[in-house]
Amino acid sequence: MSPIDRRLLIHMNWFLLGLAAMLFFVGVLNLYSASGFRLEEGMSVSSFYQKQLIWGLMGFAGMITFMLFDYRHLRTIAWPLFWVTVILLACVPVIGKTIYGARRWLDLGFFNFQPSEMAKITILVIGAKILSRSSDPLNIKNLAYVVGVGLIPAGMVITQPDLGSGLNILLILGGMILYRGLTPKLFKTLALVGPCLIPIGWFFLHDYQKRRIVSFMNPASDPLGAGYHIIQSEIAIGSGRVWGKGFLGGTQSQLRFLPEKHTDFAIAVFGEEWGFAGAMALLSLFCVFLYQMVVTAREAKDLFGSYLAAGVFFYFFWQILINMGMVLGLMPVVGIPLPFISYGGSGTVVNLCLVGLVLNVSMRRYVFKQG
Amino acid sequence: MSLYESKTQQPPKNGLLLLQGLILLLFCIFALRFWYLQIHKGEYFSEQARNNQLRQDNLYAPRGLLRDRNGQLLAVNEPAYALGIVREDCKDLDATLITVSEWTGVDLGKLKKVFKKSRRRVKPFEPLILVPNLTFEQVAVIEANSLHWPGLEVVVRPRRKYLQGPLLSHVLGYVSEVDEAELENDSDLAVGDYVGKQGLESVLEKRFRGIKGRRQSEVDATGRRLKQRILNPPIAGEDIDLSIDLGLQELGGKLLEGKAGAVVVMNPDNGQILAFVSSPSYDNNAFTDGLSQKQWVALRDDPRTPLQNRVIQSVYPPGSVFKMTVAGAGLHYGVITPEDTVYCPGHMKLGKYVFRCWKKGGHGETNLEKSLVQSCDVYYYKLGKKLGVDRLSEYAFAAGFGKPTGISLPHEKGGLIPTRKWKRRRFGEIWHPGENLNFSIGQGYTLVTPLQVARSISSLINGGRLLRPQLLAGEPAEEQGVIPLTDRQREIIRKAMIETVDGPRGTARRLRMKGVVVGGKTGTAQVVKLTDELKKMKDEDIPYKYRDHAWMASFAEKDTQRYVVVCMVEHGLHGSSGAGPIVKAIYDHIFKGKKGKK
Repeated sequence: MSPIDRRLLIHMNWFLLGLAAMLFFVGVLNLYSASGFRLEEGMSVSSFYQKQLIWGLMGFAGMITFMLFDYRHLRTIAWPLFWVTVILLACVPVIGKTIYGARRWLDLGFFNFQPSEMAKITILVIGAKILSRSSDPLNIKNLAYVVGVGLIPAGMVITQPDLGSGLNILLILGGMILYRGLTPKLFKTLALVGPCLIPIGWFFLHDYQKRRIVSFMNPASDPLGAGYHIIQSEIAIGSGRVWGKGFLGGTQSQLRFLPEKHTDFAIAVFGEEWGFAGAMALLSLFCVFLYQMVVTAREAKDLFGSYLAAGVFFYFFWQILINMGMVLGLMPVVGIPLPFISYGGSGTVVNLCLVGLVLNVSMRRYVFKQG
Repeated sequence: MSLYESKTQQPPKNGLLLLQGLILLLFCIFALRFWYLQIHKGEYFSEQARNNQLRQDNLYAPRGLLRDRNGQLLAVNEPAYALGIVREDCKDLDATLITVSEWTGVDLGKLKKVFKKSRRRVKPFEPLILVPNLTFEQVAVIEANSLHWPGLEVVVRPRRKYLQGPLLSHVLGYVSEVDEAELENDSDLAVGDYVGKQGLESVLEKRFRGIKGRRQSEVDATGRRLKQRILNPPIAGEDIDLSIDLGLQELGGKLLEGKAGAVVVMNPDNGQILAFVSSPSYDNNAFTDGLSQKQWVALRDDPRTPLQNRVIQSVYPPGSVFKMTVAGAGLHYGVITPEDTVYCPGHMKLGKYVFRCWKKGGHGETNLEKSLVQSCDVYYYKLGKKLGVDRLSEYAFAAGFGKPTGISLPHEKGGLIPTRKWKRRRFGEIWHPGENLNFSIGQGYTLVTPLQVARSISSLINGGRLLRPQLLAGEPAEEQGVIPLTDRQREIIRKAMIETVDGPRGTARRLRMKGVVVGGKTGTAQVVKLTDELKKMKDEDIPYKYRDHAWMASFAEKDTQRYVVVCMVEHGLHGSSGAGPIVKAIYDHIFKGKKGKK
């Protein structure tokens, strides 16, 4: 089988590829602004955006890799992939490397590999496989099965401890379940029971996580920590007003009142420099980008592909929702980056690979038979 | 594998609607929020941005105070002035550092190093401590010129001050600036903070430290503070009362002045340490500002080793003060009865070697009591020979020797109790019978700390309990074990120690006091085997480093008060003359109340 034939190239969703590239370059430009003012923290002026460019190149290479094979092979290897992920996650507490007090990494010599990142991709694949067996709404038995499968890697990640990634895995799977739909009776039951579980979850949170939630409700209670971030990021964004202060013109972010401006709070720099106009443009870009996932999910040749596309949709959707919600002061501060805009190596690579996966599904939508 | 999917399998319609709905929702929420922040409240936030000159900095918490058992202050805090630099306000970093170097006399290279090391850990709008201690003159110069040098700031913070200086250095230890490793391991610490490095300051660091406060200030363009608000006030560290009696400690320090040695005063009933003197000492205040390399080397290489804590870190042969332990072993294993006698002709032969008693003419018929009172060596040679090394060392371990006492101070030594196994491992040799004889008079390989001796004497008069020595007032007694002697056996040894003081031929007669029951045991520990030439010399003519160590181990009881006092003087020659007067002076202080303290 030749990996790419001409038909595939014709049917490829070039629009989606273009959107991803645009988002990525907006991100690099923004990083240039966020890190390009004064020497700080021992990093050279250019290091953040230059590094991001390098990660981007690796990401686009990964994207092509994720397009080359027929995505339906993933269906065959879904379970082996799942168990390999579980074993890798199990290795983490035993031989893992501890960075910043959490044991999340496996040292592969040339780089530190984070199995929880892999788990996010695995959950897409295994979720798509299990859910695509039928398109009927899920009954309680099937729901329990899917959730049970998802809880294994999620629970392992949460105990690393990495609550953020663990919940991320559950949210992606949860989104895919909603995509398939529940029987009306089950839906009603869960709508009643679900909210009652929230207070129980409170007990499982670490103290610092509880503090963040309290400081979100009342930013003044922690003006130095999480509350400080929210106040400063609101000032930065708000002062951008309609047209922004112009590229490299942000005073708040440039004067370093804004913390973490190149990672989780990158969008605040953007909001300050490009104003409401820029923010709307970026938000629209994200929405059209997400819509391409929906298009792919609708036109996919099979249910497996459709669920894969929906899974990737939720992978991006939650990150955008949570990061923007946090920076805009609508949600507690949790460390989740904004896809393509925040600085970060493994995040960028995984994002672009997943775009490749969607392109893979999309370009094979007319292929009925594999040669 | 079938690659054909059923035509009836369509993507879930409702699911697709859901995804589109979610996109719409996402857009609406955030578009509205951006509109609210940037347009509706844009004016307000722009104003905020112009005024966004809020700064926050630390308010340093004073360390907890230290007092003695009677409430006398031992360690306090005084304000100190440090020079900080706020990077964000600093217009020309290089010029500023050069100026700082001129003002303070600190080498420019060192300033640059401090700055480089700390910049990663200090926020750009917070003062980074460049020079931890400024004199008043320097403060005046800096305050007068600060207008021209935006970014420079005098930071006031509490600094540790030890009121008695060297007297308590070995107990309290000292504080100085945190190092890299401590910063790594403790997220509460910041560059320039003081932490305990030795003694109780280090052991109780967490209790002494307190919690930093936070202050918010509005600053103008040059970084000057306009308005201030305390966000949270600093919380001082815990105050701690020691078991130490400052009067006794001072007396002990005075008595050991010019000598090398240690004095321990312990309450045998609860393990509380009333005096803990190690001489010579060093001034722990000197460490607060950081010693220069030269000062540090001078202190470290001082031949009198003032940094050595002689109460718990120096190990000495115990000499005759070990005889109580050997006597205890004899009684415990039933090798002797108190009535058994040994004839001492002044020496004992073992193979081709001759072991001498300190008294040339010999002690004649000697029983257990007489052997302790007159410190007869031959009695113990014979006892040691009968006991053998295994039982001797087993008993010595049970009596608390050969391992640290567990006092809450760092780097305590355990001393050494030899065993067959130890000797094989250490020298690759078997144990020789002659070594039993040395062992039984506290010579040879045996090494103990003065604190171990004090604890062992305590166990003889407190019902056999080995107590953990305590340095904090009010800390409950902590029993670590019971020595293997019956009440009657302990009483025999105790009686003999009293007779050593009271009896006409006792070696510790100078401890005698009216109205107080005092028991004691002298010890003279050989430092080197004296050559015949040295032996003929008068004491005063023997070179200092060849002179014997002098020990005095004692207890005193009056009504319900009981004390154990152990004194050890390096190269003090004889227990009774070298260490005895010191112990006597301490009892005089305690019972005659020369300084009027309980």
